[in-house]
Amino acid sequence: MANAENSNSSSSPLPWRQDFFGGLVIIAVAVFAFWAGADLPVGTFGGMGPGMLPKGLAVLLGLLGALLILDARLEGGPRLERWSLRGPVFVLGAIVAFGLTVRPLGLVVAGPLAVIIAAFASDEVRWGETIVLGIVMTVFCIGLFKLALGLPIPLAPWLIGY
Amino acid sequence: MFDLIGNLGLGFATALSPSNLALCFLGCLVGTLIGVLPGVGPIATIAMLLPLTFKVDPTGALIMLAGIYYGAQYGGSTTAILVNIPGEATAVVTTLDGHAMARNGQAGIALGIAAIGSFFAGTVATLIIAAIGAPLTKLALLFGPAEYFGLMVLGLGLAIVLARGSVLKAVIMVVLGLLLSTVGTDLETGQERLTLGLQDLSDGVDFAVLAMGVFGIAEILRNLESPEARAVVRGHIGRLLPSLADLKRSFGPIVRATGLGSVLGILPGNGAVLAPFASYTLEKKLAKDPSRFGRGAIEGVAGPEAANNAGAQTAFIPLLTLGIPPNAVMALMVGAMTIHGVIPGPLVMTKSPALFWGMIASMWIGNLMLLIINLPLIGLWVRLLKVPYRLMFTIILLFCCIGIYSINNNPADVYFTAFFGFVGYALIKLGLEPAPMLLGFVLGRLMEEKLRQALALSDGSFMTFVERPVSAVLLVLALAVIVVAVLPAVRKGREEAFQE
Repeated sequence: MANAENSNSSSSPLPWRQDFFGGLVIIAVAVFAFWAGADLPVGTFGGMGPGMLPKGLAVLLGLLGALLILDARLEGGPRLERWSLRGPVFVLGAIVAFGLTVRPLGLVVAGPLAVIIAAFASDEVRWGETIVLGIVMTVFCIGLFKLALGLPIPLAPWLIGY
Repeated sequence: MFDLIGNLGLGFATALSPSNLALCFLGCLVGTLIGVLPGVGPIATIAMLLPLTFKVDPTGALIMLAGIYYGAQYGGSTTAILVNIPGEATAVVTTLDGHAMARNGQAGIALGIAAIGSFFAGTVATLIIAAIGAPLTKLALLFGPAEYFGLMVLGLGLAIVLARGSVLKAVIMVVLGLLLSTVGTDLETGQERLTLGLQDLSDGVDFAVLAMGVFGIAEILRNLESPEARAVVRGHIGRLLPSLADLKRSFGPIVRATGLGSVLGILPGNGAVLAPFASYTLEKKLAKDPSRFGRGAIEGVAGPEAANNAGAQTAFIPLLTLGIPPNAVMALMVGAMTIHGVIPGPLVMTKSPALFWGMIASMWIGNLMLLIINLPLIGLWVRLLKVPYRLMFTIILLFCCIGIYSINNNPADVYFTAFFGFVGYALIKLGLEPAPMLLGFVLGRLMEEKLRQALALSDGSFMTFVERPVSAVLLVLALAVIVVAVLPAVRKGREEAFQE
């Protein structure tokens, strides 16, 4: 189901078409879900088991994925866009770093760390302002979330015990 | 009629208590503050700010959340007008003429008319909710599992039709959402499903985590890729109050849009998202000189903004009466209500009338507050918007992390948010729109529960859905909606509608 605007790009080779790739991903997800729920009993319609819907939906999803591939074969569609590495790596890295440090080391460490790691996701990153921003924002967040709103987020357990 | 007045009286008595008034104000203020940030729509804003309401009593918490919601909506319009970046789909239309007005030196008037239009629409929508809430609730009590199931199927059908791009992809996303909703402990047998043995998944995927990842984080990743093309309006904002002539020109569009938005908002399946588009198209058709649209026509701001707000508000109706969230924002509201021990649905109104009517009254107060808070604060928002994105996104990210961690005080939620952020990024790259997936996820658990109940009652016979007239009608409607969407003629029209 190609749109008018991108039907002209249907000449791109099949494996690089967005929908072909998308269909493969969807089928992979479906197979994975079916595998993960393989042990679940299906039951009958009158007394559905826990596996009925997960398995049924996985099969349906797989079929729809196949349909999407067929669609990409017949109708073309746009080429798969380029995926960037820098943005996702640093942004997701910053979130994971926050999750890893917030309990043992507290917001005092996790806050600036997340800001500094995330800043590298942009190619305009500047060291100085990033560090200042990380500290200023952490202080602001401590004031807002911890002091004003009383959320139970750890501040610096290793230093002050909470 | 007397009921209505009495109920609204109770509502205002609740909402006007000093502490609830303060919570409403605070909600509107922080909602706008976060909502103004470019690329942060109402869904991400609410997910981020959910923990703020944990320490408040249920009524106050819901009043504050509703305030956050309206604030985020209005903040999104502000960004759309001043920077040409819509916070989410519904503000896209506002960028067209709103930003054009801002470039013509009429930023203030655009913001002013947006606020006035929203306020009018909000007032009418509040009255509509108050008026039809009670009768609909009575209707809801007659609904059995088969009817609930049929209604939710209709909701998903509408969500598929309203999604951009191909129908097949929208169906895929709905099914993916339904599949995701089955993760976690099975309701009847207590067996773990698709949890991969992970303890943190035994309660299922947290909706706030999913929404924050797919909408909040993925949006950051997308913005980082496209080089910064923000054009914050320089110079003066101009006066805020529209002239009498402007008001006269906007009056018709606002009234029509309020009607449109109110009706679309009630539909299950996120009909509200269509309201601004519908209003814009309608006004352009009705205009004597349609070429003004896109170059700063005030009707093009007043109408869609009113439609948006009316729809945003009447979307509460399915939630409060039937307990069915019609869109992602309402699903977050369900989460918040559940945390406070309130189960959304027809019983809320009879069991805790002060909460129900207090929340409705606070909607009107919230709209009034937005008008009062925002007009003087616009200068502040402009300065905030001038912060470069390379700094802004790190701040947004930090707020996301703190918000998500605080929901359950569980670092695992933070990791899952990162995971779903990547999923959202992949979906963007594959041209798959996440909105239908979220709705599938939102309705999935309830749908499974009702399906199993209905089939258990009928001994496994699917005829029960056809024999019961209401569920039969709902299912036929759902089928009709999808069939119509794949018809070639309509498909073409639909593509054109989304191009605009």
